Amino acid sequence: MAPSVNYHCPCLSSAATPPPPNLPSSSYSFHPLHTLYFCEECDAVRCNRCVSVEVSGYYCPNCLFEVPSASVRAEKNRCARNCFQCPHCRNTLSVVPSDPPDAGDLTSSTIQIGSIGEPPFFLYCNYCRWDSAEVGITFEKPTGLALQLQKTEDSAPDSLEFERLKEHFEPFLRASSLSASTSHLPSTSHAPHTHTNPITAAASSALARDIPGVGKYNPSLGRSGGPGGGGGRSGRDRTANKDEMPEYRSRVQIGGAGSGGDEDADLMRHLEVPAEIARLEQRWVSSWATSLQSKHLKPLRIPLHSKPTKRCPSCRHILIKPEQKAQSVKYKIKLVAANYLPAITAHLPHAQIPKRPVALKSSVTSSTGPPAAEEDTAEPTMVAGKTYPFQLALTNPLYDPIHVRLAVQRAPLPPQLQSQDTAGTTDKEKEKTRRPPFAVSLPTSAFPIAAFAEAWEYEDEEELFDEDGGLVDKSSPAKDRAGKGKTKTVGVLEKKANCTVVGGEVVIGREGRGDVKFNMLVSYTYRSDDPAPSDGGEGDVEPRSPTAPKAAPEMKTFSFFTVVDLGVIVPKDETKVE
Amino acid sequence: MSAPGTPRARVAEPATPIPARIGSTVQSSPHYTTTRRHSLYGTEDRIILDPGSRIWKVGFSGEGRPRDVMLVADSQHGETSLWKLTRLEGDVGMEEQERMLEAMLQDRLRAVFHDSLLTDPKSRKVIIVENALLPLYIKEMIARILFNNLQVPSISFASSHLLALLGVGRITGLVLDCGYLESTALPLFASRPLFPNLRTTPLAGARLTNHLRALLLYFGEYYPPLTSLGGSANTPAASHPKRVPAEILTDAVMEEIKMRCCFVGPALDDAENLTGSPALEADSSVELEVPPSDMSIEDSEASHSPSHRASMDVDMASVSVPSGSTSLSVDAAPHVRQGEAYLRKLRKMYERNSTATNLAFKVVPPPGSQTGTGRGTLIVPGWIRERGAEVLFDGGDVDESSVAEVILDALLKVPVDLRKTLASSILVVGGTPMLPGFIPRLHAELIQALTRPLPSPSPRTSRARNTSTRNANKPNPPPYDHYASIRPLAPHIAILNNPSPDSSSATGVVRSSRASAHAGKAPAFTPAVLPWVGGSLAGALKIGGEEIAREKWDEATGGQDDEIGPDESMEVVDERPRRAPHILPDWSRAPLLPGAPPAPRPQQLPAMSQQAAVGA
Ligand SMILES: [Zn+2]
Ligand SMILES: [Zn+2]
Ligand SMILES: [Zn+2]
Ligand SMILES: [Zn+2]
Repeated sequence: MAPSVNYHCPCLSSAATPPPPNLPSSSYSFHPLHTLYFCEECDAVRCNRCVSVEVSGYYCPNCLFEVPSASVRAEKNRCARNCFQCPHCRNTLSVVPSDPPDAGDLTSSTIQIGSIGEPPFFLYCNYCRWDSAEVGITFEKPTGLALQLQKTEDSAPDSLEFERLKEHFEPFLRASSLSASTSHLPSTSHAPHTHTNPITAAASSALARDIPGVGKYNPSLGRSGGPGGGGGRSGRDRTANKDEMPEYRSRVQIGGAGSGGDEDADLMRHLEVPAEIARLEQRWVSSWATSLQSKHLKPLRIPLHSKPTKRCPSCRHILIKPEQKAQSVKYKIKLVAANYLPAITAHLPHAQIPKRPVALKSSVTSSTGPPAAEEDTAEPTMVAGKTYPFQLALTNPLYDPIHVRLAVQRAPLPPQLQSQDTAGTTDKEKEKTRRPPFAVSLPTSAFPIAAFAEAWEYEDEEELFDEDGGLVDKSSPAKDRAGKGKTKTVGVLEKKANCTVVGGEVVIGREGRGDVKFNMLVSYTYRSDDPAPSDGGEGDVEPRSPTAPKAAPEMKTFSFFTVVDLGVIVPKDETKVE
Repeated sequence: MSAPGTPRARVAEPATPIPARIGSTVQSSPHYTTTRRHSLYGTEDRIILDPGSRIWKVGFSGEGRPRDVMLVADSQHGETSLWKLTRLEGDVGMEEQERMLEAMLQDRLRAVFHDSLLTDPKSRKVIIVENALLPLYIKEMIARILFNNLQVPSISFASSHLLALLGVGRITGLVLDCGYLESTALPLFASRPLFPNLRTTPLAGARLTNHLRALLLYFGEYYPPLTSLGGSANTPAASHPKRVPAEILTDAVMEEIKMRCCFVGPALDDAENLTGSPALEADSSVELEVPPSDMSIEDSEASHSPSHRASMDVDMASVSVPSGSTSLSVDAAPHVRQGEAYLRKLRKMYERNSTATNLAFKVVPPPGSQTGTGRGTLIVPGWIRERGAEVLFDGGDVDESSVAEVILDALLKVPVDLRKTLASSILVVGGTPMLPGFIPRLHAELIQALTRPLPSPSPRTSRARNTSTRNANKPNPPPYDHYASIRPLAPHIAILNNPSPDSSSATGVVRSSRASAHAGKAPAFTPAVLPWVGGSLAGALKIGGEEIAREKWDEATGGQDDEIGPDESMEVVDERPRRAPHILPDWSRAPLLPGAPPAPRPQQLPAMSQQAAVGA
């Protein structure tokens, strides 16, 4: 894995500082920059774990039809037109007429849909050749198939049974909640509960009677009728139907349906090919006793997708709002963090320079096959006990120059501190929480990054945008470090357009193990008189700077945490094996 | 239908557990009721969420099936369930584990609304189908995420066992939920869960998976993919079966084998029964060594090394709980490892009792294997397919009741007058009973346990230990037959959702008319989805249980957690998530039994001591 830099969103914890980077859970607090949003109102980063999401439109991912939200519910969040998936391979199914030309190929027949086709239409999978006639599903008209199919869904046995169950309970609940609200029970009598909770109300009306043997669970009495205790005196069977509930008569009894019983067991016993049995995922949404066999699987209606509008969780301002049209991938509003925070990428020069010949050679010789093994060795490796330079390239997205200051988060959080203390004395402490055994040096003073400008405003610096390789390998002042080592590793190495490269150094302990991964606080100062560079029209309120008059040009500072992951430490002994 | 009777004389304090939870926690505010009325319009449908440790079912109330069923385990990291029965001990480990769990729960919950149901959480009330043993801290996490992160207007928690009963049109019954981590039997009367009578066993889906894996590792056969088409040498390696590499039996493969190949055969003769076979018992050795909970595949490989295997042959009697851990749970280990000698005996017996075909199953070869490309072939012997699930029916262990025993144990605890009613209203739900033949077999096991000839006067040692343990708890047990007092119930045993109610009458017991009237009469919903269907029904009938409104939650927790600006101070802040004590109703803290043992939900209690604590 190449070195990575991810950005912190503080939403997961109430702490101001991010979790220690080597805890597995810390990965949930850090995100790639391009997935983050920025709320100007709150002056804060927001991530996909905390933004509140609203649906601003539904559409079918297959036919791109925009479904009015009114009908989404009734159509069960699925496309009501002609969109189906094959139950076996999930390929999209085609509608074909029942008279495929004898000698003709199927593609021509599918093209002719709607023009010639003979009435019983069915669904056909071009990939695995399944068709819906196999399970007895055919259609009279080639349009609105899903809706036709849904009608049969609505009269499916589970729906009908469900309705019958409702009818079964309703009179009982009505009677019970009536008696419950009129007759008794101070503890449940404050109004809403007798209504919001009639099952317990109903129950308690039944239970208010003396139930032989059931203790009252009275706190002051203890269990008066506990198991084997006082309850069992009555010899008569008085328990039949004690709960006052009339017997429910099922429309379809499981005992008759037989699913999951002896027949199915027999089917399994003589099974020859596992594929004859439908996979669990193919069966589990069905709530009804259905066949185990894959040959009985039904076509699947395609689930709709939604176009989400995302809002800031605390001030509710819109962060992202898509255009309504299903085909469009554009946004009406899009406040992404990449427009506000400098983009940071990390490099390990030592991993690129010395290994380069190997990697090149391998890619030449085995250009056809994947040179996986060679590339693995070309990955940045850091051996315990050594010191490595690394580089951070920061790119300014703002139209104003900024000054950046970097700091490694040294103060560990309490849990880490704790474990660190114990780790000092005993080795038994969990490895993952112990402090990473390496030390990082970064430039301590602030450094500038030039303002963003359109490409033509810079002089002839084409290599500006071919970021990583270009900046490092072209005639940069720091490139000779590979040979001589100690030219300059820590400090500003290069400034080009709106990108500044700074160097740092990591010293790895002799016993170092695990990842070289550290939290880094980034603070940048900018002029705030021109608040929103691009989209934001509503940036005239600045809640974070209550002291300053907003008219005057003023320097403001914004800080955020990142986690820098430079890669894995290779323990000393293992390198010799290699 | 008769009118509800008026309370009879003895009723002084009508404090049932359920009203107690209500009364003690939430008072309604007028504001709450009015906003509720308004929001009902148009968004009346509740979200019904059945959050299992492994699989979630979600959908809208009023519908007969869930909209979506999703695997929630972190399978990319080799996890088979989102949470375990036991929590890690120690501050650092536990906090980190909870942070991970909360982050994953947040992912899943957000996905429910944003990816699956495509609905705005702020306008949707939620009913959680709550398993009785859902750990309280997880329940709190779910509530915290739903309220703070997703801002749902209200949540209610409804007993999964009760909801399952609603799904078959009843409010009284004995419900066995055989899920992934554990199987839980809970009697309910007139919609009231009799929580003190709850019984649980770790014999459930995860255990079955582990057992199947162990059997396949020893007795399955593996054919690696053929070497490349124009294969260099003739490849004898490919034509000879190999020992099954542990790496190919991933969780996904195991689940597929389980659901696509396995079933449950008819009951074994008592003489054949594992516990009834003294020869087998003599050197049966279940290894109870507890590996670190983050044990991974490497460890399971290690268990194949001869030296390791030798250490497994621990005598049953000498098995002891490792020091420092009273919370031993075998489920903490990804694989239950069993002595090979023991497994060989099992094989002999199972092979004799199976006629199922062997199946060839395509699997992805282990990573880094040099031979060939494409998929390898795993041969799953027929007897494993048919008899792998025996592990769930294998009783006689005081700590791990079989799925039949856990029902009978609950029945034993139930007040005498209710026993017959409950015995003839057994409902079996959960994912594991989806195995074809499971429910008929369970019925046969129940009958067998109640009709088996009394044991000989000199009982086997382990049985003796059982009874002596139980002696401590129960004043007056019959000498050797644990179930003597419920033997007369045998003719009344009926499983409401038995798909083959008549086949198991071959057990020789004449069924009572009440049993005949009930067996197999439930509607044909599948066992796995019944609690969800009941939740949907409860939502549609507006009986989803007590609602906790978000206002109430915010009040109790001091507002939302997520209003954090980028405070730049490097100051150390206490990171423990804020608790909301007692805002969530929970049966385990209802003042049921003063002076009784602690409620069985404290997080560190393992399943087996829960069993002792529950109703003792
Ligand atoms: Zn966030
Ligand atoms: Zn469509
Ligand atoms: Zn297909
Ligand atoms: Zn905001």
